[in-house]
Amino acid sequence: MTAAATLLQPKARTASMSRRHVETALLLGPALLVLALLFVVPLARLFSLAFTDPAGPFATFGVLAESSVYRQVMWNTFVVALMVTALCVLLAWPVAYVLSRLEGVWFGIALYGVLFPFWISVLVRTFSWMLLLERNGPINRLLMATGITEAPLALLFNNVGVLIGMIHILLPYMILPLYGAMVRIDRRLLLASDGLGASLLDTFRRIYLPLCLPGLAGGATFVFLLSLGFFITPALLGGSNAITLSMLIASFVNDRLAWSLAAAGSLALLAIVLVLMGLAARLLPIERGLFAR
Amino acid sequence: MNRLPLLLRISANAGASLVLAFLVLPILAVVPASFNKASFIYLPPRAWSGVWYERFLADPEWHTSLVNSVEVATLATIIAVVLGTLAAIGLRRIDGRMRMLVTGLFLAPMIVPVIVTAVALYRSALDVGLSGTIIGMSLGHAILALPFVVINVGIALRAIDDNWLRAAAGLGAGPWRIFRTVTLPNITPGIVGGAIFSFITSFDEVIIAVFMAGYASKTLPVKIWESIRLEFTPVIAVAATVMIALAIVLFALAQVFSRKTGSPSR
Repeated sequence: MTAAATLLQPKARTASMSRRHVETALLLGPALLVLALLFVVPLARLFSLAFTDPAGPFATFGVLAESSVYRQVMWNTFVVALMVTALCVLLAWPVAYVLSRLEGVWFGIALYGVLFPFWISVLVRTFSWMLLLERNGPINRLLMATGITEAPLALLFNNVGVLIGMIHILLPYMILPLYGAMVRIDRRLLLASDGLGASLLDTFRRIYLPLCLPGLAGGATFVFLLSLGFFITPALLGGSNAITLSMLIASFVNDRLAWSLAAAGSLALLAIVLVLMGLAARLLPIERGLFAR
Repeated sequence: MNRLPLLLRISANAGASLVLAFLVLPILAVVPASFNKASFIYLPPRAWSGVWYERFLADPEWHTSLVNSVEVATLATIIAVVLGTLAAIGLRRIDGRMRMLVTGLFLAPMIVPVIVTAVALYRSALDVGLSGTIIGMSLGHAILALPFVVINVGIALRAIDDNWLRAAAGLGAGPWRIFRTVTLPNITPGIVGGAIFSFITSFDEVIIAVFMAGYASKTLPVKIWESIRLEFTPVIAVAATVMIALAIVLFALAQVFSRKTGSPSR
């Protein structure tokens, strides 16, 4: 439609505009409706249960905050998440660096090594670790055969097993953003720093590390937030003294039918995740569009 | 930095190789475990046998769970792909705050911890009688898969030049014709990528399924989950191997497809 034609037919134009609005609404409507009915409403209904305790609207949160058992669970959840994040940063570093330097076939192989685990079910991977970490499993037998330990180590049903299993699953979420930051670093900056007489450590500290920071912060935030809500791995590899918040929520529902406590725990978990996400987005130099790789 | 000292370079390579081995090799432990002849899992097996594969195929409970998983994943994929594709196209037509808000809502199921979503869905499903049904689980999984479709199709849509659409309209094509001849061919790789990812998301999903599954509607992961807690026989390793095999097939499919069309599938 030319400009002149548009001017001559204002009515037709508004008609086509409103038609476009209707189309847009029809495109977005079904997904929004389903999301509202199957996600937003169920969440709102669950959270409302947290405030329906006969002892008062905030009684459930009081129970969670005051019981030393529940406080211990929260503490354990945070400690595990922190340790998983720290160890993931440490382990991701060499992989991301080597990935950023490799080319051709070797790059492809290494990249597939990072991406392949993404596609395997978390349950299957956790089960695999149960087989490997068993009391009489291959890892313990190897440790005993090489004389590192005399009696089999308790690697399963405690935080050791949980850490190993969770790191295995969350490590790629740390490697990929870190690699993304490293691969974009202009190598001439490093050469220049070198040429100006900076030591290797100085170049790392003042040039390389700051340029890696966006990827590092993004990956660490992602891993930490995922760790907080992790369920399958701690539930299978953890012991009765290594309970996390997600396991507590599940046991409120399944074992005790304590819906108001489950609701309060869920709301607390979601609130912590959202607050940390907001803080990280504000304080850390995370690059935008973490999801749009 | 550009040329790390030899010792550092060697240790970086060695470290990276070790970590990559840590990522890939443990996953494969279930494969030899599934070929144990004994009734318990020993790694590596003392005696090899395919007897637990026969058990897996002959046991109606395992068999049904596999069929249930395929049904749930297919339904979830169809729901997520249809809704997600429409939504991704719709998202391109709005902008500003509105777009941020709607995009945030579409991605929210990725951000809310799955345990929270699962408990919420379970509670509402109990109230409306969808708990323990295939359709209930499919709807729950479709919610988890929706963000992947919106993202994948959204990426594919970005490659379409708005001028193509204007040109098609200028040549007299109606909206449906424009969609069919310009938009759809360009976003097909995104749709297929989103579909494959939706399928594997649903097929692998445990948490929602564990809460929602009834006696007759267990999916394969639910059956594995329950068996791990009851008995530790090699049949679980067989089920796990089946899941790995399917994941590898879908992974390969996604790679072939993204290579053919030269667009990212993830």
